[in-house]
Amino acid sequence: MGGFLPPAERRSSALVGLYAALSLLLLVAGERLPQAPLRGIGAFVFAPLDRLVLAADRASTAWRENQRLHERLAELEMENARLRDEGVENQRLREELTLPPRHGVELKPVEVLALAGEPVPSAATLGAGRSQGVREGDVVVTREGLVGRIGESYPTLARVILLTDVNSAVACEVESVGVQGILHYVTSPYPRLTLTGVPLGDTVRVGQLVLTSGLSIRFPRSLPVGRVARLGVDPSGLSQDIEIAPAARLSRLRHAFVIPGPDSLRGRP
Amino acid sequence: MKALLAPLSLIVVALLLRSTALSALATRGVLLDVLAFATLVWAMARGEAGGANFGFALGLLADLDAAHWLGRHALVLALLGYAIGRLSHTLVRDSVRTQLVLLFLATLIHETWALSFELGSVGSWPWQALRVLLAAVATAPVGALALAIARWGSGQPLFGHAESQPGPSL
Repeated sequence: MGGFLPPAERRSSALVGLYAALSLLLLVAGERLPQAPLRGIGAFVFAPLDRLVLAADRASTAWRENQRLHERLAELEMENARLRDEGVENQRLREELTLPPRHGVELKPVEVLALAGEPVPSAATLGAGRSQGVREGDVVVTREGLVGRIGESYPTLARVILLTDVNSAVACEVESVGVQGILHYVTSPYPRLTLTGVPLGDTVRVGQLVLTSGLSIRFPRSLPVGRVARLGVDPSGLSQDIEIAPAARLSRLRHAFVIPGPDSLRGRP
Repeated sequence: MKALLAPLSLIVVALLLRSTALSALATRGVLLDVLAFATLVWAMARGEAGGANFGFALGLLADLDAAHWLGRHALVLALLGYAIGRLSHTLVRDSVRTQLVLLFLATLIHETWALSFELGSVGSWPWQALRVLLAAVATAPVGALALAIARWGSGQPLFGHAESQPGPSL
């Protein structure tokens, strides 16, 4: 066939054949290549540009947020005062019941530079990395709830594996009723977060809050994850199919907080 | 070096748009395929070799940005760049109708291929097909509008007309 084509067209046909072969080779063997360093370089190159693009969007929303945050601050100051009173009371009661004291979590504010994945983002790039003390395995949250965990950490940037990554799994419990399950992201029949492994006999209602469970070794207990959005039966007929609406707005992440992961898992994705 | 600047700029702009503004739109159901659009623009301007080079480079960088399946976008965008480049020799490239049809088809092919890696059970196929169709329907007019604005801004045709080959002399 090459003989029928002019030389320039033959060259371009050969070129596209080479690209097709290379792409197919990457599809077959790409998972074995070390992609993390390449993604690190990409994130490093794109970080200043991402910041530039996001600056315009952020400037326009900053003043609205500022107004809302002032109101929220006033509300929270009042709530904080009430909670301090209740905290003292709670501590006294725990001492009387000889229960161990609860520890707070350390929050490190970080900027979200970019999101990756369609139609729902599955990863995010943070503007802080190892130099700022962000390590693989650390937990990422917003004020609304859990976002994911650090999968890759570079000197000044980090990549977050969001709850909406197909390989993500979080041990959760339904607030107040204590029903336990594992949160997964599934794409079939449509993309959604589901709580799996909940027996049919357990009572769960739409609207109930889902939190990280004490069984999780990666995530601190009681971080809000989402709310029960829909109830159904798993195709196996053995457990419930519970759809969860995420608490954090994963598609509109601008700022987040990093919580250091457990010491035994820090530095491991 | 100068020859690389234009495609590199277009690649950077396309990837930035994809990871920022378009990512937010995609979660609201408005999927604009900037990868197919950028490949189409470059292939119509530079022909099949340029289109294939550009599509492969853009696709590979988009693949690296995603967590899985290296080569997924690179393959289809390289082929699309080549095919559109070949077609551009025989089409009136500045015609809005041509651009609409090519953008619709390019998005349809690219999205179908990209989505085929995420196909779940048969039950999810109608939802996925609808998503692909919506992406093509949204990308075609928005892309054609962007090209029309660029043409109006530059004050001259963006691509010129199809090459006219002189016929055999009798």
